[in-house]
Amino acid sequence: MERLNSKYITAHPIRRPLRIFASDPMQARNPGNRITIEIQNEEVESGPKGSRIEVIDYDGARGCFYPPVDLNDKDILMLNGLEPAESDPRFHQQMVYAIAMRTLENFEYALGRPIEFYKSKTKPRLRLFPHAFYGANAYFDPGLNAILFGYFCADPIDPGPNLPGQIVYTCLSHDIIVHEFTHAVVNRLRKNFIEPTNPDVLAFHEGFADIVALLQHFTFQDILTQEIQKTHAKINTGKSLIELAQQFGYATGANQALRSAINTGSDAMPKRLSPVILEVHERGSILVAAVFEAFFNIYQRRIQDLIRIATSGTGILPSGDMHPDLVNRVAKEASQTAKSILNMCIRAFDYMPPVDITFGDYLRALVTTDYELYPADENGLRGAMIEAFRARGIYPEKVVSLAEESLIWEEPIELPWLDPEKIKWTNEFYTVARNFRPNIINEDVSQKKAPTSSANYKLDNEDDPDSYLAKSLHKYAMENARNLDLDPEHPIQVSGFHTSFRVTPTGQLQTELVVQFTQKDDTETEKMGGIPLRGGTTIVVGTDGRIRYLISKPLPSASLREDARKRGEQRLDRQRAYLAATDLKDPQMAYGDQNYLSQRSKMRMRISALHQGVNS
Amino acid sequence: MSLQPTPSKLNISKKKSNKAGEPLTVRMYDVGFGDCFLLLIPKPDGKKYKVLFDCGSIKLGENSKSMKEMVKLVIKEVKDTSDGSPRIDVLVATHRHKDHISGFDDPAWAEVEVGEVWMPWTEKPNDPKARKIRELHARLAENLVNRLKVAISDDSTNMAAKSSFEMAMNAMSNEGAMNTLYNGFANDPQMRYLPEENASATWFTTPTLPGVTINVLGPSHDPDVITEMDPPAGQSYLKMVNSELNETMMHPLPFRKDWAITPDEYQIKYPFLFNDLSNDDRKYLELASFGMDEGMASVLDRALNGTSLVLVFQIGKAVLLFPGDAQWGSWHLALDNPDLRKLLKTVTFYKVGHHGSHNATPVEFVQDIMGKNVLAMISVNPTSNWPMVPKEDLITELQKKEGCKIARSDKPEEAVHAGFTLIGEGVIEAQVPI
Repeated sequence: MERLNSKYITAHPIRRPLRIFASDPMQARNPGNRITIEIQNEEVESGPKGSRIEVIDYDGARGCFYPPVDLNDKDILMLNGLEPAESDPRFHQQMVYAIAMRTLENFEYALGRPIEFYKSKTKPRLRLFPHAFYGANAYFDPGLNAILFGYFCADPIDPGPNLPGQIVYTCLSHDIIVHEFTHAVVNRLRKNFIEPTNPDVLAFHEGFADIVALLQHFTFQDILTQEIQKTHAKINTGKSLIELAQQFGYATGANQALRSAINTGSDAMPKRLSPVILEVHERGSILVAAVFEAFFNIYQRRIQDLIRIATSGTGILPSGDMHPDLVNRVAKEASQTAKSILNMCIRAFDYMPPVDITFGDYLRALVTTDYELYPADENGLRGAMIEAFRARGIYPEKVVSLAEESLIWEEPIELPWLDPEKIKWTNEFYTVARNFRPNIINEDVSQKKAPTSSANYKLDNEDDPDSYLAKSLHKYAMENARNLDLDPEHPIQVSGFHTSFRVTPTGQLQTELVVQFTQKDDTETEKMGGIPLRGGTTIVVGTDGRIRYLISKPLPSASLREDARKRGEQRLDRQRAYLAATDLKDPQMAYGDQNYLSQRSKMRMRISALHQGVNS
Repeated sequence: MSLQPTPSKLNISKKKSNKAGEPLTVRMYDVGFGDCFLLLIPKPDGKKYKVLFDCGSIKLGENSKSMKEMVKLVIKEVKDTSDGSPRIDVLVATHRHKDHISGFDDPAWAEVEVGEVWMPWTEKPNDPKARKIRELHARLAENLVNRLKVAISDDSTNMAAKSSFEMAMNAMSNEGAMNTLYNGFANDPQMRYLPEENASATWFTTPTLPGVTINVLGPSHDPDVITEMDPPAGQSYLKMVNSELNETMMHPLPFRKDWAITPDEYQIKYPFLFNDLSNDDRKYLELASFGMDEGMASVLDRALNGTSLVLVFQIGKAVLLFPGDAQWGSWHLALDNPDLRKLLKTVTFYKVGHHGSHNATPVEFVQDIMGKNVLAMISVNPTSNWPMVPKEDLITELQKKEGCKIARSDKPEEAVHAGFTLIGEGVIEAQVPI
């Protein structure tokens, strides 16, 4: 009987299966659309209310609640979660929770560390409201620490394949859930990326959220194989794969999906980035198109041999159906390629500046992160990415060429190394290792705390500026401000630090400490409509304490090095110019009062305003 | 797109004007918050061609006469010296906002003979694209007025709602005035809806105004500009409020009724969820369905302003820019076109767009394009709902330009000081050399 107490027997299942719509209810008739996905099995109460995410079904438009789903209900467990149904609010809750958890997992996998959302006493979790309001919109609200999904009636005259006037739930769209959830994660990783300091910042938020949603399409096996069969492996023509939020788009009478991965220009002449493209979704779609093209090119390269084998070397598929084995093999390549691109796109966050991101910075971060893990670029991922960005006119500033070695961030030779012993970095290792999710449910069962008291749940030191490590890093920054492109005249904040672990293809454990320093200059905040001029530096530290990369956005300060000061001045000019350009397009500018003027940038940075809904 | 007319052509028109050097005049009528400009071009026979730009107001100034009196004054002004009957050669209605056309809702116009009526292409009766835009604007205005009325009566201190309500009222369709413009003058004027789609040139001439070249800078048929006039946000807004106009005034139920639980019940059954949502948060969510009216009112305002006819008259050396209330879209296209940019550099008279508001005059135009000695007229009367109109920075920028003279309709003394003429109460005149 002792055996029954053994770890092996008492362990809980690691995964929990749940059913979802793979795209949205409009595709419900498509057999590949009702699927079961697996997510981490965590302790979950009715809601679902997990440790980091909870679904609360309050309908603000009607002032009522809908009863929460209990995923541990025996009958529901037996069914792998509720059957997809538009008419049952509990299925909606299940789907929102499942997709949010799946997306979170993808981030954690790529980043090599757990992610914890911002929390306060009254808002200990990221909250998801599946039926928050009436309206054709959905948004992440940082103040509320929540994602709000709206519902609305489909266009009575032009509803596309929907029923005229039927209710459309944004919380039943895979793409909308992933998109909004990604906003929440990005906001956690870089909280200043919602301050519109240049045309790319908010566009990056939007584009990146679409990239994650898009690439996750390729993890759904059934849809993938169907589309490969239908398009003869030309997956860039398969609508279900490359279009985003189909039902939403059609239901709003637009006669098309909300957005697409390739609707920007033609293959020969892709739409290029230009200073006049300011609308954030439009600008973001150029980033999406670049990443998608890189994905598609790598995919094609990877299936070439399969196609040749299947066609006796001609490489030309005959008409008629493809062999199902070939379809499956091609699908495998497609989903693996999507996975590596998604990982690359997410990992790049560790190599991004803390403020004022541009698409060019993002390209450099992508190249650096990939170089770190795969120095040889056997798969041609970096090359394809660089080419796709170049074709769309996305150029980083201050690089001499688009060669790989000039795109990789610089190593600062002037900076003294950090002493890992002295800053007690190793203490972090244990915390991170211990808190990696899969362990929690199995190891802490006996002393599990009530889920509401998650206060002593300290996973992530970014919330803890008082830790010894934070203090040591701050001291280091003060001592080396000038060489870190930080202005000694302004206070320096250690706004984030974390250790990441990754396994390289050669089996080595790569460990890095990523630190973000930020500072701000408030002299023009009011003129700038409520957002300060921020400066900041990200450093990436190796286990030996060597500062391997320095990614800086300096303030325009006379105490900085000549080159840094100049870059700071250019950033200030750019921020002013961007403000002037958006002012001209802002209809409220004509009539806004002084209060509006001093807060206008803040108003524009609400993520709710990022959606092509009523806020245009 | 053809080039601008050559200077030689302009010289011909100069020869035609009778006494050498007699300037043309632009009269600005003080209509409070609105526009009414009369352009008088000297004819060889000593008479004048008369062009009226807009006639409307939404709020009279302290010293303004009533709109009816203003209309009377304008009609008296355009009486032909020979037979005493009023005649306007060209009547321009830049766009259908009340503050530009309300004066046409007056039977007095029935006695006026009009040579040509010019309106933006968005007013063309049978153009489906134009009709779609007009219908959107009308429906938006109606919905906004209804909803904001409720918001104001609920809370009379809600300044944002008041200001938005005014904007929506301004956009309400103006049947009386539009009827006059289409069909209410003494004769049957020639109608032009400008610019014509696929027009071969950005300019034209008309026998009604010999010697005048008219450049049409907007509203373009370009999809980007149309998006400004027909904002996608408008459609989604309507979708959102449409159902509300149903008898219930309630949003539709997303589920069968028996799914819903009251907050009290929920609190008892699911305290661990209920407690994670404070009362404040709940209120916030309740407002999420309603916060969009004010934003929408300004989107609509911009959309309608975006339909503004933007005209440049070239008469000899005089180059007069009448941009209506044009917005970013039209300006942007003009500033991006090297030929039109060149033309804008030669402007000698500028009717300041949109009562001097922020979005209607790009800084680039004032700082980099506008030349010396420009006469600028601003028809404006500050109103407490919109304290930032006119924008002081814009006036300061204009003042910085060498030789630039500015007349504001609400400050006639300052205008006289700057060199304009006050001809009767509430009428300021600029003399523009030909």
